[in-house]
Amino acid sequence: MNATDFPWLTAIILFPLVAGLFIPLIPDKDGKTVRWYALIVGLIDFVLIIYAFYTSYDLAEPGLQMVESYPWIPDLDLNWSVGVDGLSMPLVILTGFISTLAIMAAWPVTLKPKLFYFLMLAMYGGQIAVFAVQDMLLFFLVWELELVPVYLILSIWGGKKRLYAATKFILYTAGGSLFILAAALTMAFYGDTVTFDMTAIAAKDFGLGLQLLLYAGFLIAYGVKLPIFPLHTWLPDAHGEATAPAHMLLAGILLKMGGYALIRMNVGMLPDAHVKFAPVLIILGVVNIIYAALTSFAQRNLKRKIAYSSISHMGFVLIGMASFTELGMSGAVLQMISHGLIGASLFFMVGATYDRTHTLMLDEMGGVGKKMKKAFAMWTACSLASLALPGMSGFVAELMVFVGFATSDAYSTTFRVIVVLLAAVGVILTPIYLLSMLREIFYGEENPNLVAHEKLVDVEPREVFIIGALLIPIIGIGFYPKIATQIYDATTTQLTAMLRSHLPNAAVANPEESLALTSPSIPPALKR
Amino acid sequence: MEPFLYEYAWLIPALPLLGAALVGIGLISVNNVTNKLRQLNAVVILSLIGVATTMAFALLWSQIQGHAPYNRSFEWAAAGSFHLTMGYVIDPLTTVMLAIVTTVALLVMIYTDGYMAHDAGYVRFYAYLSIFSASMLGLVISPNLVQVYIFWELVGMCSYLLIGFWYDRKAAADACQKAFVVNRVGDFGLLLGILGLYWATGSFEFAVIGERLEELVASGALAGGLATLFGILVFLGPVAKSAQFPLHVWLPDAMEGPTPISALIHAATMVAAGVFLIARMYPVLEPFPVVMNVIAWTGALTAFLGASIAITQNDIKKGLAYSTISQLGYMVMAMGSGAYSAGLFHLMTHAYFKAMLFLCSGSVIHGMEAVVGHNPILAQDMRLMGGLRKYMPITATTFLIGNLAICGIPPFAGFWSKDEILGLTFGANPALWLVGWLTAGITAFYMFRMYFLTFEGKFRGTDTAIQGELLAAAGVSAGHDDHHDDKPHESPWTMTLPLAILAIPSALIGFAGVPWHNRFEHLVHAPGEVLAAVAEFDQTEFLIMAGSSVGIGLIGIALAGLMYAQKVIDPGAIARSIQPLYNFSLNKWYFDELYHRVFVIGSRRLARQMLEIDYRVVDGAVNFTGLVTVVTGQGLKYLENGRVQFYALIIFAAVLGFVVVSSI
Repeated sequence: MNATDFPWLTAIILFPLVAGLFIPLIPDKDGKTVRWYALIVGLIDFVLIIYAFYTSYDLAEPGLQMVESYPWIPDLDLNWSVGVDGLSMPLVILTGFISTLAIMAAWPVTLKPKLFYFLMLAMYGGQIAVFAVQDMLLFFLVWELELVPVYLILSIWGGKKRLYAATKFILYTAGGSLFILAAALTMAFYGDTVTFDMTAIAAKDFGLGLQLLLYAGFLIAYGVKLPIFPLHTWLPDAHGEATAPAHMLLAGILLKMGGYALIRMNVGMLPDAHVKFAPVLIILGVVNIIYAALTSFAQRNLKRKIAYSSISHMGFVLIGMASFTELGMSGAVLQMISHGLIGASLFFMVGATYDRTHTLMLDEMGGVGKKMKKAFAMWTACSLASLALPGMSGFVAELMVFVGFATSDAYSTTFRVIVVLLAAVGVILTPIYLLSMLREIFYGEENPNLVAHEKLVDVEPREVFIIGALLIPIIGIGFYPKIATQIYDATTTQLTAMLRSHLPNAAVANPEESLALTSPSIPPALKR
Repeated sequence: MEPFLYEYAWLIPALPLLGAALVGIGLISVNNVTNKLRQLNAVVILSLIGVATTMAFALLWSQIQGHAPYNRSFEWAAAGSFHLTMGYVIDPLTTVMLAIVTTVALLVMIYTDGYMAHDAGYVRFYAYLSIFSASMLGLVISPNLVQVYIFWELVGMCSYLLIGFWYDRKAAADACQKAFVVNRVGDFGLLLGILGLYWATGSFEFAVIGERLEELVASGALAGGLATLFGILVFLGPVAKSAQFPLHVWLPDAMEGPTPISALIHAATMVAAGVFLIARMYPVLEPFPVVMNVIAWTGALTAFLGASIAITQNDIKKGLAYSTISQLGYMVMAMGSGAYSAGLFHLMTHAYFKAMLFLCSGSVIHGMEAVVGHNPILAQDMRLMGGLRKYMPITATTFLIGNLAICGIPPFAGFWSKDEILGLTFGANPALWLVGWLTAGITAFYMFRMYFLTFEGKFRGTDTAIQGELLAAAGVSAGHDDHHDDKPHESPWTMTLPLAILAIPSALIGFAGVPWHNRFEHLVHAPGEVLAAVAEFDQTEFLIMAGSSVGIGLIGIALAGLMYAQKVIDPGAIARSIQPLYNFSLNKWYFDELYHRVFVIGSRRLARQMLEIDYRVVDGAVNFTGLVTVVTGQGLKYLENGRVQFYALIIFAAVLGFVVVSSI
């Protein structure tokens, strides 16, 4: 069979789900066989993803590729339609990567292992489906179905307040999903043709008024997921109660769904509304960055601290996607990929630390560096990555967003100066809370009030491997960003060009602007 | 040979990076084995940096011979039509910096073997040293601002890791965080400056930015005030990195790191990076007099501030740290008053003699530890030293050479560079010269105070009364008595050899820049500057300027001698008669207290209030909205009439309600 004809995406989505169904049949008492089974399934799927994209994906092509479409329920006009472009393809790879590592991170899980690993595999396939489906109704379905395993994992394997956290999570996200359904139906039935196909919907011309309404609906739904202030309060609760592998998935992938959907639908399908809403996104992004950094600084609970730091980092995604520049859009996508890796690594380290200290409260830790040297080194590396140290992916993404927004011609100079100034305050705040955290966990004399002195053993090779695997792409992108950006550059460039065509004569609208902009008309002399 | 050398110049930072990576991977994967191999790791890292040093000197030689500058770049990041390149540039400034950094790094690494011999973190320390060298070398070969920023932050990271090297000490833990955060404040300005300049000129390259910026301002397309603002923002980076007022507070605390680090990072190389950046950005900053004045006065104020605090310090490393701040102030002042090559010349001489002084202090501490134990409160306090010249002759001699160099006594290195700065600032602004001149006197005084307290008189290390006093002042109870020696000893050859080698440039390198035949200026001069004829040397002026600065230096030395060697004047009595001034200096002008109260406490309070708001207001409001939505959702059932637009209206109402509620 020709490699390009094979329904790769369908196979990638269904393989973990189907393999998960066999888990009950595995003879296993203590969960040790199941975890190997799940890990191998995860690895195979990851290899499939890489192979499929390697053979069938063309990096120069900006549009949808590897499209498969089969009628599913013709009466409802529901099609199983999948495809990837530069937006979804890197996130599919990220999902495969993080999910496989999350299975490995779940090694110590002993409670109901069969159900747990089944849910992990279900999430694996479901998350890829969210990034790959190209049918609005189907998107809504997988988006909703995806919530079920997360809810179960939170409510069964979570911490003390797990039920509260899980309920809050499901109410927030499901509440947000209602808006997706309403907006999706509106878009499908609008105009002459009834279609759920995303490309066809994107081609429809909604009036500005309706676009704004739809945009607002999506913004709430995806704003919960990303999350955007003030819809973020489910996240510290959910993160505060989840186990390490669930964490990695929540921070690494689930938050990216919000960003992905915002770019795919709000930006891609409703460009006129996006032009109107963009300043709001920018302001919300700045609020995210500063507000969450400050709250993170005040948090005494380690998991919640990192959760707030995730919110802070997502602010850059918002600014990037609303910058109307190729660089900013590219930075937004890179920030999602980068935070997927960095967030997952930090949350994994939180879990690994909790296994040893048996507490998440910073006041009950302190001075554990002497006994956990490797953990200390790994924590330091991940924290430095998170505070956007150059040489790591976070820096490149933030720099791209900064430069992209600063040179954007869609906003007045004053607005840009204020936003850049405030966003750059985040550059100061991030090391304050991350380095304070490191100091309180590892530095100084060992805290005599530690809950479990004797359990402070250093990390095991499995844990070193997981962090190592996450750090390789983090540092790789940091050293040479093109390895990541070239994957999606064609798509973001095209998307930005489309957006800019909807921009009402940006340069002329602002007389002061056009004056200052005479300068960049000198061609960038970066090429020697 | 030469083309090959230039083509592979990227190896200079890459080799130490390779060394750090090898040792680092070894430490993470097979920790026990790597730690057992101990000196083998050091040998690997030392030989790699040795190769880098050789290459650096070959390049320096080639540049002295007049080889044209060399440039190489590759595309690093791209998005649509945006392209960003990275690469390296080899020009005279770069090669001089490469030579300084590699020699000091190499010698410090040799020294480290002796100094850290008994430390459990010996191998880790070498890995850090190596990664620092790589970042610093990467910084000096950077061809554009983004690459400078990248390595700028990386050297900051190394500094963070190395200050916190002894992480079980609380003081080190606080100091490393302080260093990183204060530097990030500077980086904040630098980043904004870079963004502003890119927005205005569309370039990250030094020369291109300068050229276009001037053009834009001249044509009126860009307000001159804006260009000035960008310049000052960029200058914030050097203010933090080179410990200039008001962001100098991190450097003295950084002395919590092991002494080799204080010599390499916090005296010779990283802190000089700020001066280097000003030099690189010279074409951008130079056309704006306001920027240049801000730079010059910041430098002058810092020079005076550092010296005025150094007078009263009793910790030998803290004293040297304030002296570093003061000397960096000289360099920045020189840059600001247009004395480009004089500033860089002082950077070079200072790198050698200050690295040597710090390594001497390390040797002293090493010797003292044999007597008072491994307690920095005791081992570093000069009140417990005295008479060490008898026990550590090599250390004492080299310290004295460094001292004469920093005090500007001819023919030692510092004389030529400091005198050149003072002479040129006099031409630019006599007020600046006055500050610099007075500071030179104070410098001579406190450096010789340090020398006399440490190496002359009689040894006080065994005096338990002073020990008890010091411990009580630090709030530590007099712990167990673990010293095993009555008198200090000279350090092993791995430590004294680097001292002896560094003494050579400290004494002689000044002859590279004698005013009647300035080879240094001939090599390194401001871009675009036409070299004045060498013959313009004015002997009378030189003698007046040199005479006055040597004169005040000698007065300072004489005063120090009378107070601390001859004991003719009682320093305690003077301190008591000007108690407020004395306390002002002893407490470092109260900067730490002020910053703690305003920024540390303030930010903590703000953060706590934000969290409170998050819990009570935001979470509450959203939960409430959720409740309202559920209730209206129930109502929706009865209103359902199948029209999609109506749903949209409901959503719109929900949004509106949501906005109203959440904005309360």
